Amino acid sequence: MTKAARKQAQIERLMWRAGFGARSEEIKRRSRAPLAATVNQLLKPKGRALSGRPMKVDRKRLQPKTEWGHDVMWWLDRATRTRHPLLERMTLNWHDHFATTGEAIDEPALMLRQYWTIRRHALGSFQQLAKAMVNDGAMQLFLSLIDSSKEDPNENFAREFFELFTLGVNNGYTEDDVREAARAFTGFVYDEERRRFGWDAENHDNGVKRILGQEGRFGPMDVVRIAVNHPKHAPFICTKLWNYFSPGPPPKALLNKMVRIYRRSGTNVRPVLRLILTSPALYRRLDQPDMVKPPLVYLAGMMRQTRWRPDGKDHWAWILFLMGQRPFHPPSVAGWEQNTAWISSHTTLARYQAANAVLGERLKDGDVPVGESVDKAIKRARRAVGDPRTSPTTKRAMRQYAKRAVRHPWSEEHYAAERQRGLRHLLLAGPDAQVC
Amino acid sequence: MTDLPTPNGCDDWRSTRRRALAQAPRMVPLPDQALDGLENFAKGGGITRRDALERGAGLFVACTAASGMSLHSLLDAAAAEAADNPNGTILVSLCLDGGNDGLNTLIPLADPRYHQLRSRVGIASEKTLPLKGVSEFGWHPALGGLQKLFDAGKVAVLPSVDYAKPDLSHFRSAGFWRTGIAVPSRVTTGWLGRTLDAMGGYSNPLKAVSLNGNFDSVLSSKRAPSATVYDPGDFSMWVRGVWEEDTLLSAYRQSAAGSTRSTALKAAKLGYRQTITIKNKLKPLAGDAKDLPPTPVPYPDTETGRGLKNLARMLDAGLGTRIAALTAEGGFDTHDNQPEEHERLLKDLGDSLWAWQADLQARGLSRRVITLVWSEFGRRPEDNESNGTDHGAGGLALVVGDRANGGIRSEFPGLAKLDPDDNLRVTTEFRTVYASLLEGWLGVEAGKVLPGIGRARLPLVGA
Repeated sequence: MTKAARKQAQIERLMWRAGFGARSEEIKRRSRAPLAATVNQLLKPKGRALSGRPMKVDRKRLQPKTEWGHDVMWWLDRATRTRHPLLERMTLNWHDHFATTGEAIDEPALMLRQYWTIRRHALGSFQQLAKAMVNDGAMQLFLSLIDSSKEDPNENFAREFFELFTLGVNNGYTEDDVREAARAFTGFVYDEERRRFGWDAENHDNGVKRILGQEGRFGPMDVVRIAVNHPKHAPFICTKLWNYFSPGPPPKALLNKMVRIYRRSGTNVRPVLRLILTSPALYRRLDQPDMVKPPLVYLAGMMRQTRWRPDGKDHWAWILFLMGQRPFHPPSVAGWEQNTAWISSHTTLARYQAANAVLGERLKDGDVPVGESVDKAIKRARRAVGDPRTSPTTKRAMRQYAKRAVRHPWSEEHYAAERQRGLRHLLLAGPDAQVC
Repeated sequence: MTDLPTPNGCDDWRSTRRRALAQAPRMVPLPDQALDGLENFAKGGGITRRDALERGAGLFVACTAASGMSLHSLLDAAAAEAADNPNGTILVSLCLDGGNDGLNTLIPLADPRYHQLRSRVGIASEKTLPLKGVSEFGWHPALGGLQKLFDAGKVAVLPSVDYAKPDLSHFRSAGFWRTGIAVPSRVTTGWLGRTLDAMGGYSNPLKAVSLNGNFDSVLSSKRAPSATVYDPGDFSMWVRGVWEEDTLLSAYRQSAAGSTRSTALKAAKLGYRQTITIKNKLKPLAGDAKDLPPTPVPYPDTETGRGLKNLARMLDAGLGTRIAALTAEGGFDTHDNQPEEHERLLKDLGDSLWAWQADLQARGLSRRVITLVWSEFGRRPEDNESNGTDHGAGGLALVVGDRANGGIRSEFPGLAKLDPDDNLRVTTEFRTVYASLLEGWLGVEAGKVLPGIGRARLPLVGA
């Protein structure tokens, strides 16, 4: 690989892992500046958050609070149009981390409110984010914080708080810590009729608790503070962050560095992300991409690659459902299983069909000149879909296809276009397109 | 090699085996240690050496030093031989989504409280259909099909199946039933998916099938693939404006071939290979459903009827399917105006099952197939003011098939004493039903699928 090609491959990986993909023009432009410059732009987004116009269904604006599937399409639309890809992607990552599922609470408005809360803190302080999640209505309903009272404390939230959100499974806390933290988390109430969340001091247990070795009359926010200052927290959360960008454990030296900077900054996420995104370990084996694109990234990415927008039908939520990822509807409190777990024979077919929906009827017979050479046809297809990375195997498959696809001289206009459709489909949905 | 038994496994196995035999002179037995380091097998979703040995597959494993046949396909053939026994038993999961009202499906005639609690939606005793040899219950009048099956000894009836401390949320309760774990957990695999994992032999993606066009998570597994098929005559990889589908698919096949060091890319390639395999294996079934020969009893034209009809065709085609999952025409969540709606749904259920059993019998499959009919919960014994019933506990489950052990097979707790939430008391944990079918029907040790399962089993399978 030449130095320039390597640089482009780095940027392409970065844009897929820290965002929702990019076209080759953007990749080429960015690859002329130092990597750190792109990382900096990702970390400190400026200007308008979205480009273009909002998606419409049947010429009407999306109704994410009331219409089935519109919440999912609302997020798809944001991911497609975002000009702040890392911020949008980290919002998705934190939604996976603090997974709350719409099915269980059946109140899309609360999920949308949670989206904005997460987004506000997505690149900032983890401690603030965790506190905001304790105060979040959807979360409180989902993990039974509501009506957890001093007489009858519910351990659901306290357990997940240590196990999934701050420390990791059996990592430095005991069942007693869970019980004591559950007492500290009592007092949240919800007035269902007026849809108002609140705090009822009568319901709160203000006795002395012993949590992770400390003693006091702790309330909810004290538990957050104690947990994020626990020695096991920083390595846990830094590893989790690393795994949103790269599979496998982080290199030891990098982990130490992340932990140090995370603690020194007072649980700040931004400097940790900077370390991850500039780490050489992230760019290992550029010719062997080892992450599967999450469905939302894959689908929004196809739109961005092609510079197309979802058409005005509402099948996109269904397509994401079949691929196994509807934002706002993670399968459980543990979020989605990432990477190779995205792939099965079911989701593969859905990913294949997703490219049909993206390609749509855009290319008509007669739109492509008849008698184009194989090279030119491939070049045309690549240009149309943003010239993504392909392996030598796929390159060979495309050449052979381009040679064989034009069949009958009596319908050249059709076959010239058919060849384009096939090539573009393969570029958008083939095995190489599933990974980054 | 000529001493080996005549292969009569699935066609996939046969063709691989033919190729293996054609190359017999160059084959040498593979020492089983050689399987140890096989890239991917232990971790990535293939079979481990231990799996291969446990299933007796080692017998067939051989390698061809320099031939075109890869070790993978040989192992696949071995696994297929082990797993796709042509006389293998088949289990079908049929879900009544929404919480079926068990008390109005099987009416407890002998319980004096029934009519007190069901003053609005209760079924008059004289309208119910009798069960041969059982006087304390009657079927809902729309269940003529089920009545005939029961009277022929083909239905094991399980009143009040559920789990301790029933959760009345559809989402949570259906989750428990699908995962086979009756407490909140993070398990994402389904109990039938884990059954597939435990059966081993992961080469045939049609070994398990979801029938409703979207994946039923009860089949969610760690390693074993499964297929989602709506209409087996139309499993489509169609692309708009592309007439030469085969040319495009061969490009896909080509780009999915070959090996790679990246596990992610490996998974993506495998996903395509499996999908194309499903498509190819279903090719003999391609065609318009309207042109098919009639079945002995017509199926209702509903989700339930179409799903079972399609499944019967697939089972008959010998694709090596052992497990299938589908959802009946719904919804059973009858909070309001229950009588009319429930009657329609039950008629569909009874008629579909009757047509299904007749179809299986005509195809010579009826002794190989058992259908488990279940719902995420039953409904409140006391009806509500909207002429419906609310979420309850203790649902009704049915085990249907020629080899089902017909009769009432679990205890009905009666309505005299209800649980603290005024629901039917649960007498039988649904996991006990699963365990009984796993061991009594599929021959899979229940402990491998259902963590912490006790010793209790029910006699659900007969001779």
